[in-house]
Amino acid sequence: MKYRTNAQRGRSFKLFGLVCAALLLLLPAAQPAALGARETATEADFSVAVFVPGVVEGSPTYEMLVAGVRRAAEERPGTEVRVIEGGFNQAEWPQSMTSLAATQDYDLIVTSNPSMPEIAAEVSLSFPDQRFLVLDGYLAGNPSLYTVLFNQREQAFLSGYFAGLVSTSSMEHARPGLRAGLLAGQEYPIMNRVIRPAFELGLQSVDPAAVLDFRVLGNWYDAAAATELANSMLDNGADVILTISGGGNQGVISAARTKGAYVLWYDSPGYDEAPGIVIGSTEVKLDEAAYLRTLDAIDGELAFGTGEVLGVGDGFVGFDTGHRLFERHVPQQVRAELEAMITRLRDGDLRLEMPTQF
Amino acid sequence: MIFNAVEIMTPILLAALGGLFAELAGVLNIALEGLILAGAFAGILAGAASGSLVVGMLAGALAGGLLAAVFTFFSIRLRANIFITGLAVNLLAAGSIPFISTWMFGTKGVLRFPDLPRLPRLLEGVTSGVGFIDSLLFGHSATVYLAWLLVPLALVALYRTPFGLRLRAVGAREESVIIAGVDAVAYRRIAVLISGVAAGLAGAAISLRLGVYLPNISAGRGWIALVAIYLGYRHPIGILIAALLFGFTESLAGAAQGLLAIPGTVLLGLPYAITVVAMITYSALRARGLRRRRFIDAHF
Repeated sequence: MKYRTNAQRGRSFKLFGLVCAALLLLLPAAQPAALGARETATEADFSVAVFVPGVVEGSPTYEMLVAGVRRAAEERPGTEVRVIEGGFNQAEWPQSMTSLAATQDYDLIVTSNPSMPEIAAEVSLSFPDQRFLVLDGYLAGNPSLYTVLFNQREQAFLSGYFAGLVSTSSMEHARPGLRAGLLAGQEYPIMNRVIRPAFELGLQSVDPAAVLDFRVLGNWYDAAAATELANSMLDNGADVILTISGGGNQGVISAARTKGAYVLWYDSPGYDEAPGIVIGSTEVKLDEAAYLRTLDAIDGELAFGTGEVLGVGDGFVGFDTGHRLFERHVPQQVRAELEAMITRLRDGDLRLEMPTQF
Repeated sequence: MIFNAVEIMTPILLAALGGLFAELAGVLNIALEGLILAGAFAGILAGAASGSLVVGMLAGALAGGLLAAVFTFFSIRLRANIFITGLAVNLLAAGSIPFISTWMFGTKGVLRFPDLPRLPRLLEGVTSGVGFIDSLLFGHSATVYLAWLLVPLALVALYRTPFGLRLRAVGAREESVIIAGVDAVAYRRIAVLISGVAAGLAGAAISLRLGVYLPNISAGRGWIALVAIYLGYRHPIGILIAALLFGFTESLAGAAQGLLAIPGTVLLGLPYAITVVAMITYSALRARGLRRRRFIDAHF
């Protein structure tokens, strides 16, 4: 075993000290870059901060959020946009939002998540002049907030109805008896009180004897565990699974590919994830909502203190029926029946109200 | 349920068997989580690039080994605090992979490789006539059999070879081993490298089975593997039983969600509750054994 002499250790410490000193010297040099960004923001006619509760890359929802806000900014010269990623630790979001509001640099903070209205309301107590646009959540009555909630009851119902149509069709992996699965990353109020019952209602609209196999992954990332849960659902007779489990979705695809079954995507078109396996996908036009409401805010026309619910009839919630893979893999009859149901929802023949209190 | 349990336990068993070498050599390798991540990433990249699952597994093992070499450099060569070094390796893997992923593929999110060959299932259609035995032994992914195979190999290497004897001696009584002229540091390094290779294999087994890489794909399996080492009495057979217990409880929790009216979130706590009970039972039995040994030593 080699032992170092005191002189050698001394040299190592000197080297370590030099590196630390260099870092300390470099820190102030890096500071102006951050300050510069802030100055740019404050010099703009209208400055918007997009607070992403997570990370943008790999999240279609947040990519749409950022794209919508940027599109609005491009249409109104003099508008600056800065994107701040809050990371996956939900406990840090209130502090991050507070820090953001405390800068007083932004005319509007845009964010999206069901938990964000309460966080924004809390921050608004300390910074009442700060305005927030929160999508995918609902809270009316706070003069600092404008919230947009999407009708997930209609969305989940459409998923369930389509799952029922696929399961009772003559498609390759459809099995006798209508049994469909729903895998959720976590249980949360909208999942338990809106999505799950509406999905089941959709299934039972096709066959009243339909059975829903509901499972919870317990997190939003464990794809290997999601594979085993999906395997268990498929072994129990399910032939279609709606997956709302973040990274776990990939595990559901893996199981469906191995055992021969179909997967439904939620919120954003997922057909390209696994052609022929991801057979249907509802969509929420969050980018369009972010674009329109940011424009309203820039133009001073957004009625802060109120909220709205957007659904199929408004064109913000739907089913991606125009995708080439959907047309290729789904039989004409199933497509026609789904279109008929979408039309009923759009025309108001079938009304599925979205609750705003959970 | 048994079938799924075996699939679930595989990466835990692989990582824990490797971690056992380090543990017996006196190094608590808390970097297993990061080593699994590195193996998962390298494994699927190499597998997709070469079109060969074997190359993917080897690359996973290599990546795990290389990162373990970094761990040994800091923790053994430079004598840095082993806990801090282990945590740093975990952070290094979790932080550098998204960076490399962004550089190579333009995303730090999900990496899909649709053309990657599927992991073959072995002994499909073979039956013993007993459902339990069939679920336990037949029709599993190839990586399951690799993990099964490593149990007797670890057993022989640790308990039937001079290498194993010295390695265990390094962990138990380092001073005696040094007096006997054995290079204890070299043994520790080798043990940590073995744990890195095994954890890398575990990672590759996860990503190659899924056909994708996604952030946090290890999902805490490195930590569970560490628990399995202790739960398994620091012995390959014990670790196999502990890994099976983890796999079975997780599979049971998943299956119960489809059968019982109990909320899924409550059932998800079942594996952890069973783990706590098992750990307490283990501690109690061990304490009882120690008391008995002391009594015998004192009176006979």
